[in-house]
Amino acid sequence: MEQDIKKQANELYSRGLLVFNQPITKERLKLVTELWQRALELYRKVGDERKAREIEKTLVNLYKRNSAKREEKERQREKQQDNIPIEFASWDLFFKIGCFGFGGPMAVFSLLENELVSRKKILSHEDFLEGAVLGDILPGPVTMDIVTYAGYKLKKWSGATISTVVFILPSFILMIILAILYNKYIVTPRVETIFKCLGAAVTGLIISVGLKLGEKEIKDYPAAGIFVWAFTSSLIFKFDILTVVGLAGIAGTLLYTIGAAEKNNSP
Amino acid sequence: MDTLLKLSWVFLKIGTFSFGGGIVIIPLVETEVVMKYAWLTKREFIDAVTLGQITPGPVVISATFIGYKVYGILGAIVATVSVILPSFVIICLVTEAIRKFKENKVLANFFRGARAAVIGMIFEAGLSIGKSSLIDFKTIFIAGIALICLLKYKLNPVWVLLGAGIVGLVS
Repeated sequence: MEQDIKKQANELYSRGLLVFNQPITKERLKLVTELWQRALELYRKVGDERKAREIEKTLVNLYKRNSAKREEKERQREKQQDNIPIEFASWDLFFKIGCFGFGGPMAVFSLLENELVSRKKILSHEDFLEGAVLGDILPGPVTMDIVTYAGYKLKKWSGATISTVVFILPSFILMIILAILYNKYIVTPRVETIFKCLGAAVTGLIISVGLKLGEKEIKDYPAAGIFVWAFTSSLIFKFDILTVVGLAGIAGTLLYTIGAAEKNNSP
Repeated sequence: MDTLLKLSWVFLKIGTFSFGGGIVIIPLVETEVVMKYAWLTKREFIDAVTLGQITPGPVVISATFIGYKVYGILGAIVATVSVILPSFVIICLVTEAIRKFKENKVLANFFRGARAAVIGMIFEAGLSIGKSSLIDFKTIFIAGIALICLLKYKLNPVWVLLGAGIVGLVS
């Protein structure tokens, strides 16, 4: 009886060894572990501790090697993900916006909202507006600031670099061509009629973005009040952007903080 | 080399102080480029700004033109990178800082208020651009069509702009 089991265990072990000596694949590895595990159990049953421990050691080694490989693979995959800044499909949109931003900063602003928030959903509308706030408060053109901000949100410094470079590239190349032409002929192209029609389309564009964002963002009295105040003060009093946004931020801090405090006081 | 360093320094300065961007920085650029260093004549400078408005990018791209005038392609690259760099670095640093202080209630409320103001200013920009560009029946018609295409049919604005540009080209 005991002899039979021992024989069976030996057989299982050597079968496993046979499979193990062939080129390793995932399925074979699984089979080997299974066979040896069964052999281990049988050796334990008949009390052959020496053999059992031997097999156990091999199994543990096998398992360790396997998991080490898996970890290595995962580490590599993570590294690759860090190197490849999301899919290229999302970066070409910055290039597209860089190409079609004719009609001034507000046109670019509207294009960005449309692509980043409405279509691709890379940023939430709050994130987008936050980028706009930063663009207004910090130096640099607002549109480029939003592009850099969006890139940073996606992939830190590398993302910011790629989005900014890709965004500025079309204008840069066009400007070089124009500069070369200018040096030769000293003429500036007549583009007034084109700009007039573009301006009209941009007006429509801006209003559509304003309506879209306003619908999501302005939900309570403080927001509505700040909205109206910002609109009128920049329209009538011609306050500069920095003042309007800065004061609105302070107003928001006061109004919402007081609002929250009152809510806490009255259960 | 000396000229390149000066060029870089001037545009780094301009990039750092160009709050709000756009036309705001033009006087600053003029003082440095025309008055102080005399790299461009006044006439050339005005043309540089005009060309800057033709390109799809922000007006600071005029830096590319000025750089090219001063030191060829290399000058164009140096000037462009210099004018972009300050705001680039500042934006990244501030975004990182905000991400860290996201939980801060005061900061969150500040942004809540400021976001509403940005929307107010979007409408103001629409109105002031509209005032100067909606001057006849044709332009009002274009603006109306654009608004309908964007809001009702959710058309990609790139096509709306392209269409309007073509109308301007052929009429």
